[in-house]
Amino acid sequence: MQASTLRAGGRSTLERPPLARLPDRALKYGLTALAAAILALIVYFFFRLVGEARPAFAKFGVLGFTFGQDWNVSAEQFGALPMLLGTLLTSGLALLIGVPVAVATALYATELCPARLRSPVTVLIELLAAVPSVVYGLWGIFYLAPKLQSPEQWIADRLSFIPFVGGGLVTIPNIFNAGLILAIMILPIVSAISREVMSTVPADHKEAALGLGATRWEMIRLAVLPYCRGGIVGGAMLGLGRAIGETIAVTILIGGATQMPTHLFAQGNSLAAVIANEFGEAEGLHRSALFAAGLVLFVLTLFVNAIARVIVLRAERVHAPQGAAQDPRGPGPPALAGTPGL
Amino acid sequence: MIHKKIGALAGVATLALGLGACGSSGSSSSSPTTISGAGSTFAAPVYQQWGSSLASSLTVNYQAVGSGAGVTSLGAKTVDFGASDPPLKPAEFKALESHGPVLQIPMFLGAITVSYNVPGVKTGLKLEGSTIADIYLGKIKTWDDPAIKALNPGVSLPSTPITVIHRSDSSGTSAGFTGFLSAVDQEWKEKVGEGKDVQWPTGTGAKGNAGVAGAVQQTAGAVGYVEQAYALQHDFTYASVKNKAGNFVVPSLESTSAAAEGIVVPANLGIKVSNPSGTNAYPITSQTFIVVYEDACKAGLPGGESAAKGVVKFLQYGLGEGQSVLAQADYAKLPASILPKSKEAVAKLKCNGSSLG
Amino acid sequence: MDALDPTATARARLARHSLSAARRRRDGLARGTILGGTILALIPLALIVYYLLAKGLGSWSWSFFTTDPTGNTFFKSSSIGGVKSAIVGTIEIVTLASVISIPIGIGVALWLIEYGRGSWFAHTVRFFIDVLTGVPSIIFGLFVYIALIVGTGSTYAGYKGSIALALLMLPVVTRSAEVILLLVPGSLREAALALGAPRWKVIWSVVLPTALPGLATGILLAIARAAGETAPLLFTAGATFKTNTNLSQFMNSLPVQIYNDVTSPTNAVVNRAWGAALTLVAMILVLNIIARLIARRSRLA
Repeated sequence: MQASTLRAGGRSTLERPPLARLPDRALKYGLTALAAAILALIVYFFFRLVGEARPAFAKFGVLGFTFGQDWNVSAEQFGALPMLLGTLLTSGLALLIGVPVAVATALYATELCPARLRSPVTVLIELLAAVPSVVYGLWGIFYLAPKLQSPEQWIADRLSFIPFVGGGLVTIPNIFNAGLILAIMILPIVSAISREVMSTVPADHKEAALGLGATRWEMIRLAVLPYCRGGIVGGAMLGLGRAIGETIAVTILIGGATQMPTHLFAQGNSLAAVIANEFGEAEGLHRSALFAAGLVLFVLTLFVNAIARVIVLRAERVHAPQGAAQDPRGPGPPALAGTPGL
Repeated sequence: MIHKKIGALAGVATLALGLGACGSSGSSSSSPTTISGAGSTFAAPVYQQWGSSLASSLTVNYQAVGSGAGVTSLGAKTVDFGASDPPLKPAEFKALESHGPVLQIPMFLGAITVSYNVPGVKTGLKLEGSTIADIYLGKIKTWDDPAIKALNPGVSLPSTPITVIHRSDSSGTSAGFTGFLSAVDQEWKEKVGEGKDVQWPTGTGAKGNAGVAGAVQQTAGAVGYVEQAYALQHDFTYASVKNKAGNFVVPSLESTSAAAEGIVVPANLGIKVSNPSGTNAYPITSQTFIVVYEDACKAGLPGGESAAKGVVKFLQYGLGEGQSVLAQADYAKLPASILPKSKEAVAKLKCNGSSLG
Repeated sequence: MDALDPTATARARLARHSLSAARRRRDGLARGTILGGTILALIPLALIVYYLLAKGLGSWSWSFFTTDPTGNTFFKSSSIGGVKSAIVGTIEIVTLASVISIPIGIGVALWLIEYGRGSWFAHTVRFFIDVLTGVPSIIFGLFVYIALIVGTGSTYAGYKGSIALALLMLPVVTRSAEVILLLVPGSLREAALALGAPRWKVIWSVVLPTALPGLATGILLAIARAAGETAPLLFTAGATFKTNTNLSQFMNSLPVQIYNDVTSPTNAVVNRAWGAALTLVAMILVLNIIARLIARRSRLA
């Protein structure tokens, strides 16, 4: 992006000599090469996975494997649907519970919190990220899940008219508990990103709302949240990625059932958990099936990201661009639509 | 300025890494020989303990990644020995033998207990294979079921429902347990079969021996199969199981070793202790092997002669003094009918033709 | 940010008199919900920290930090040792993983924003990086296992664990860096360019420093995650008990040590696992504090 060329006597006064342009060129090509290299690495990664997974897909067919209901190791019958459902359920629960709470913490830290408390609260939320996943799993199964067993049984009994939610016997490792722990695990990242975005809301937007007599909540609703919508979704996507891929904590908490999940408070399985549980002892077709499960996860994330992209782009089109004043340099769409993951 | 701070940090990090990377490369000459192994999680505590005893002259690095992954690692020549609970299948042998002949050497045995947490029952219940199978099939649902009562006259059993606990992860312990059930109960054999993971008809899954132990501890009325070390650590009550000879045997060091006594030992030493016929044999016993190349140097293992010598030293220790150490963790040593055969196998190990054992 | 000028405050106060009860109620309810949500988020933290302290603090001692684990795991054995090799290993492995993934991640994010914006190539890169965030951590370990260990017939090594962790961190660093870098106002860039600064200088001296506090947060979270991950290291870094600073050999690490110890039948070993878990959390907390001190700059806007 060179400044305009004022030509005075042949050569522009504002143009830079070729040698000085070198660092710019180097940076541009260097970074482009880097991006290309990363893309190549990811594609290689994908191909390696496919190579290992091929025997399983060859035997069961891609759809047959992905939607097969039966995972029976000794019979060498592999169908990933129970695990796929488990992954979707636990991640969905994690988002459902985790994102609102994370946004609440971000709102509190940026808008409502007294200034002295801001730093401590922030550090505390981020401390949740410092806990290793294995500790979450163990704390969940030895402390939280047993404590929740009676309340969960009570809920299951009260809500027995809702299929899949109620009406069954609550086991200690179950789908809901796994989802709950995942929600706690994704809190820090969703909160941090939301907080970052919220702290950049221009003060005049907020002051305008307040000056017109809005209450604090109305100001948040009118000035802060719409501005941050894209960033929050970006953070939520990162959280979702973490939830879908979390291995150890879910493995410990979900119970490793090989049949289709019967209800929310019963055992289930997840794609990541089945790999962790069975890889060490697997060989031949079994091993290939586990890699195939990993591939299904890969594709699942692809779908989820594509859907999220569509949702947010649609929301952007409806809602008038707020960030346009910030960065007119973008090609048409405002900065928000360019937010990653969308 | 901020760049200076970041630059300084990055500089320190790189320097530390650089020092770290070349720091110890020069010191390997005087340090003890290092050998590496991978495989069975069941055997991990023992190999680590043996390694610790030999630490002054031999460093043993053992990855408990699972029997399957251990054998794969040996096949890829990334470790000096593999550890497997079940004997190698023909396909596995073939894959390994493309690099050279392999030996599988039985090392020790362990008992799998049927532990339970039944309120009021502190003594060891007597159980039969078919009863256990029925519990795990979901046919026997409460502790005061007539089948259990019949075997245990005089013990007052509560009507607590039975919560079945099994493993959620693949494991040799599951293989040993289901192997026993398949051998003694036809219905189990047909419906479920045996293996490192099976489709459990009922019950809750827990991860690892520790997970099953924890679950049994937390749930009144629970029953689960765990290695003896865990049962003892958690102070579980466990069953005495009826063996083929008709005796109800408590898992102990003697009854576990006795289980391997008198079984048929195939030429490749691939023993499988499954419902043994000895009078005092504990029927739910598991074996474990170390798998090595007969000629590690010729097979192209990176450790060369020193590593091959190290492996021999490790095996000789394990089959010698190591056997008496096993008792401390309630693993059982090989019986007299098998130990000499393992030692013979170790004697066969060579490096580029010249014998090491 | 809270610096509302007096006029606005006065206006707001006057306006509040005309606030309907319903609006006031809604405001109070919303505030309460937000506060409640925050407290809800902090409850598990308090519980976990208490649990960790209760189970792990007892294991902390001088010898815990300065001796290696011995492999003596049988009940009647004398000493089980400490976790020194695990601490050293974690520091080295995570440092290498960060050194690899952070510059690359920020570089890719920069490229996506500054140079590639709008092109189909950028969309593809971004898309694939997004997909990478959902890959389970164990698969990264297995990928390195297949590609670098089994595939090449070479042994487990610390740096291979670092590579697996770097793969794990890369999408997180890239994505959060992109969100943060996008928040740098275009006007700031424009001003620098108008002053005649070349592109690279604008990035180096204006964009990056402005984005630093946010970047530091995202990076810190990525490092914290990597430091606590077990699965990528299980099949790659190799387990050993002796302290080893050479990254091309087997290297212990805290998560793997915890994972192996916590499943042991020996109570003393399980306690050591909790002590190690507490150590890991403490180390990450210290890192957090250090990073905050470094990045203490004014926020964007």
